[in-house]
Amino acid sequence: MTYYEKEIMRISNSCFSNDRQIETVICTRTYIDNNFNKELNLNFLSYIGFASKFHLLRIFKKYYGLTPKQYLISKRIIESKKLLKSGMTVTESCYHVGFETPSSFSTLFKSRTGLTPSRYQKEQLSQSEL
Amino acid sequence: MKVRVLSIPVQNQDNALTFYTEILGFIKKLDIPLTEDNRWLTVVSKEQPDGPEVLLEPAPKDFEPAKTYQKALFRAGIPYAQFDVESVQDEYERLTKLNVDFTVKPTDIGTARIAVFNDTCGNLIQIAQLI
Repeated sequence: MTYYEKEIMRISNSCFSNDRQIETVICTRTYIDNNFNKELNLNFLSYIGFASKFHLLRIFKKYYGLTPKQYLISKRIIESKKLLKSGMTVTESCYHVGFETPSSFSTLFKSRTGLTPSRYQKEQLSQSEL
Repeated sequence: MKVRVLSIPVQNQDNALTFYTEILGFIKKLDIPLTEDNRWLTVVSKEQPDGPEVLLEPAPKDFEPAKTYQKALFRAGIPYAQFDVESVQDEYERLTKLNVDFTVKPTDIGTARIAVFNDTCGNLIQIAQLI
């Protein structure tokens, strides 16, 4: 066994030994991935994950480095990029991925990608024409 | 500042280009002759053609410390770089069919699934997905 394999086992045993917690966060993430375009909040996610709100918040952040809300936003941004690339309008893309208003969509999109959705779309479409 | 280029040291740029394009599926982005037998050779992901470029850098060929470092990492089984994939298991099966040698088979570690393979250019490369 290599040094790296031993390290993987050591880290696995010391940081990832709580199977129940891991199962809870994996289920929550999978649920978000499959339902990102619906209205999701911590109350509901904790209900389906059978964990208290604050416990879920804490363990999700512990394992994924993001809160469930931050993860949801990042998932929606990734999906909106695909739609914008395909030519869907900014407003349609916004609602399609589950954001409530185009203004909050634009703000969040810009804060994470450095570009507004319309600017991003223009760049993508002009590149595909080259 | 932006992340534009990340480098992977390779012992032979021609072989590296073949492996990274024909086996892994990257696309050649830049190929600029520098000295007689060294090029500025970069590849990008097919899914992110405008994303960061991977520079296939011939450092271990000419710079002894780079060769020593590369060998030490390889002997310890430590991956030099990591790429994201949709499914580690699918990539493992696809690459195994292409005779790629894996030092770590698909393994779950917490909320990630990983596998490690030999890039035939002196490095181990890890593929990973969030689960």
